[in-house]
Amino acid sequence: MSKIAYETETNATLLAPYKSSKTLGTRIGYGILYFILGVIAIVQVYPLVWLFLFSLKTNQEVFGMSPFAFPQDPQWGNYVKAWTAGHIDVYFFNSVIYTVVAVLITVILASFVTFAITRMYWKLSGLVLGLFMAGYMIPLHSTLIPLFNIFKSVNLIDNPISIILSYVAFNLPITIMILTGFYRTIPREIEEAAVMDGCSVHRIFFQITLPMTVPVLSTTVIINMIYNWNEFVFVNTFLSSDKWKTITVGVNNFVGQYLTDWGAIGATLMISIIPVLIAYFLLSDRIVEGIAAGSVKG
Amino acid sequence: MVKKKTVSVLMSLIMLVSLALVGCSSSSSTEESSADDKKVIKFMHLWPEGSSNAQFSIVKDIIEEYEKEHTDIKVETEILNPDQYREKLKVLASSNELPDIGMTWSDGFIKPYVEGDMLAPLDDIVDANLKDAFIPGVKESYAVDGKTYGLPLELNISYVFYNKEIFEKFNLDVPQTFEEYKNVVKTLADNGVVPATVGAKDGWPASFWFMYLADRIGGSTILTDVIHGKAKMDDPAIVKAAEEVQNLVDMGGFVKGSSALSNDDAKGYFMNEQAAMFLTATWELPNYTTSPDVSQEFKDKIGYFKFPTYEGGKGTDINSYVGGPGVGLFVAKDSKVQKEAKDFSAYLVKKWGEKSVTDAGVIPATKVDTDNLDLAPMYIEILKDLSEASNVTTYFDTQSSPAVSELHHDLVTALFGKQVTPEDFVKQHADELAQEQE
Amino acid sequence: MKGVMSNKFVITLYVLPALILILLLIYIPIVLTGYYGLMDWNGIGKMKFIGLENYIELVQDKKFWQSTWHSLLLGIFSTVSLVGYLVLSLILASKIKGANFLRKIYLIPMLLSSVAIGQLWAKIFDPTNGMINRLLVMLGVDNPPLWLADSNIVLYALFIPIVWQYAGFYIIIFYAALKNVPEELIEAAKIDGANPIQIAYKIKIPLISGVIKVMVILAIVGSLKYFDLIFVLTGGGPNGASEVMASYMYREAFSKYNFGYGSAIGFGLLVICLIMTWLIQKLLTSKEDVQF
Repeated sequence: MSKIAYETETNATLLAPYKSSKTLGTRIGYGILYFILGVIAIVQVYPLVWLFLFSLKTNQEVFGMSPFAFPQDPQWGNYVKAWTAGHIDVYFFNSVIYTVVAVLITVILASFVTFAITRMYWKLSGLVLGLFMAGYMIPLHSTLIPLFNIFKSVNLIDNPISIILSYVAFNLPITIMILTGFYRTIPREIEEAAVMDGCSVHRIFFQITLPMTVPVLSTTVIINMIYNWNEFVFVNTFLSSDKWKTITVGVNNFVGQYLTDWGAIGATLMISIIPVLIAYFLLSDRIVEGIAAGSVKG
Repeated sequence: MVKKKTVSVLMSLIMLVSLALVGCSSSSSTEESSADDKKVIKFMHLWPEGSSNAQFSIVKDIIEEYEKEHTDIKVETEILNPDQYREKLKVLASSNELPDIGMTWSDGFIKPYVEGDMLAPLDDIVDANLKDAFIPGVKESYAVDGKTYGLPLELNISYVFYNKEIFEKFNLDVPQTFEEYKNVVKTLADNGVVPATVGAKDGWPASFWFMYLADRIGGSTILTDVIHGKAKMDDPAIVKAAEEVQNLVDMGGFVKGSSALSNDDAKGYFMNEQAAMFLTATWELPNYTTSPDVSQEFKDKIGYFKFPTYEGGKGTDINSYVGGPGVGLFVAKDSKVQKEAKDFSAYLVKKWGEKSVTDAGVIPATKVDTDNLDLAPMYIEILKDLSEASNVTTYFDTQSSPAVSELHHDLVTALFGKQVTPEDFVKQHADELAQEQE
Repeated sequence: MKGVMSNKFVITLYVLPALILILLLIYIPIVLTGYYGLMDWNGIGKMKFIGLENYIELVQDKKFWQSTWHSLLLGIFSTVSLVGYLVLSLILASKIKGANFLRKIYLIPMLLSSVAIGQLWAKIFDPTNGMINRLLVMLGVDNPPLWLADSNIVLYALFIPIVWQYAGFYIIIFYAALKNVPEELIEAAKIDGANPIQIAYKIKIPLISGVIKVMVILAIVGSLKYFDLIFVLTGGGPNGASEVMASYMYREAFSKYNFGYGSAIGFGLLVICLIMTWLIQKLLTSKEDVQF
């Protein structure tokens, strides 16, 4: 599929400036391309629609009917349940705080490291990059018991700082890896010119390099945000007070010993996806703007 | 010069990090001591408000009552869903950080905790407060080397629940023997109805079938004997039981693709009347009696029967059940408030016994006096059955060690999916058991 | 130039905070995992030192190698699917109408937690009520496959939701990379008469080769330690047919209480990841990174 679609697409792009000369062939090509893109779009949006329908179903409907089916008697009560019995009001706020703080720290620290590794000259840069990369390779559940002991020894159990530190540490490797890929494609001339002009390293980093990487920064912010928002293993293990827990715990509170309230889970998931969706849509636009901003500076 | 700078930066960074850590730790410790002189009992349980509202409310009320009677005590709860509860308990145990009171399963689950010297024996409070309170034999499931380490809260036995409407439609009677059961299966399968639904992916629901067949063919003690090394897993009766399971699979006796269905997925077939029978335990009773989420129309269609006997089998008594205690309470050995924790857990068990059937539809491990209770008929019948039971064989996976239990689940799934032969099924069990008894 | 850009003070300042954090929170646990692997320990109570016994058992453990193979297959599958994501990203990054909107839509599955995705796909794969089989029965197929219950296809059936779930992740990164390609280069090539495929192949792809390389590593390492959806959908079954390294590790450590052995598996997983990363580096560095 993709190959044909791609060819037609690129033809189309090439021909775009000469709109008047559009042939029948390119129109058909466009048609096929949009058809395929449309099908993919439906496949990708479907889960959200499904989740919404799911959140309005009773347990009986969830298991009996086709996932396409509409609920016979929409259970708006599931949302009430999610909000009250699921304690979403408390959890929601915690989720936002942990996510935002952890994402900011991760992205800033990772940018520092990536800049130092890809832009500055020092002997151990390869080794340090390797250390960060290897950090991505440990399975999370292997680290649970050791991490618990570490946090216990510094009295951070049942303290949100343990969660934020874990999120930062475990997201740093992947964030740095993505950033390195990008930093290597950014031309050095601008920085070199800045050095000639007598700029300090800090100024180069904050005023030249960082603005040029806005697109990839937005990308890593999105990825980090989604990871942190949906995380629950650390939250369950390191926190015990209800006042500190996050929205994913709210979801899991509907999983029971003998009975699981799927409708309420759906409602909780639906509520919890909205802020991420909005944040994602906003950030996603930033991906396009970066390079323009960078070249203006240059 | 550069070196000096580096060192100084390093130092200041380390200072900063440690300062941050100290800052947090001091703040959290002040928080603990500020709990206005009350003794705090930490209690971890697995009934979240969302999924187990009835149980959650009972426990919450009991705690409030207790705190009113004992003004110097504060009970702090931490609530997790069962899967996460197990995972967290594991992490806490590895760091010797168990809560003062927590929940445990019986036999195989509790044993490593006892052997790791984590739990306090509870015989003293049983003798003082709960003598003769429990249904005989249940408390013993939480005993290791003669000492009781858990106070049981639940007791479940398994039945075949069936859809009376479907049975009537095909003129079927409740089967008394396995031969009759097979005829029922055949009629239903021939008419395109799923005879029985089972969530074999999870292992344990499928094991019910295997356990009952082993009980009926090999006698009611055979599986317990296997665990205790008194019988062999490759006993012909057990091989036969595994073969009969696969015969049922071959006949189309179970829902298609059961080895990829969870218990919840499988239950959906029964709740939506796509399957005629569901072998499950009494924890499902609220769905067939009191649960407001299920239609009365459906509830009226549901009946139950005891697992049929097997012609020529050693287990001739239809009143022998497969079942077992669910969760119970433990008190941590290292608890600083052990005395108070013991007292509270005994209180909880007692009050729980009074409230659990009526409020949550859970059959408690303590004796229930049905005379004064307003209960659905199915509960009354089942409580009567329970008092007349000749034997309750505790679930094989509950009795065995965690390693054997996990292997058993995998193998039962494979047995239902026909990915192992009955011979291989018993052999792999036997090997693991032998390795353990070394 | 080099003087400013090799200021050791600045380097330390930039690298140290992050380094300390991962040394404390990732490397200490890694070392401890390796250490627990030397123990006979059920996670509760006392440990017993047994030397390399767990590691020796691991090397001879058929189940471990089977799960390794499954993880590697997932890695290969994910890497191959990168091609599709790249093509899709090339389309989305070009100036066709609605690309911006489509790109946003394509990422939606990534926002959902594994709980939701697991439920959705359990419904899709259900042998009787599932979406796929209902469709197949409607089309006249008598015995549609049992999907997750069939040990011969379960692994491949599981790859579909996993690959689908991560599509957004790779597309968003490729997309950002392609947007980073200077417009002037593409314009210049167009003027020289290059066709779009040549532009993609000769300019765009080489320019983002650094990113592609990182994505290959992420796809493979991510697959090797992948766990979530497999655990939710099959738990590694039936009969180990979909067991991967991380699920095997989890089951040994947390379900079977063999924490010592589970740690050894975790450590083995890390070693395999390192070897694979080294191999990929070797394979891909023959093509020089494009710098300009």
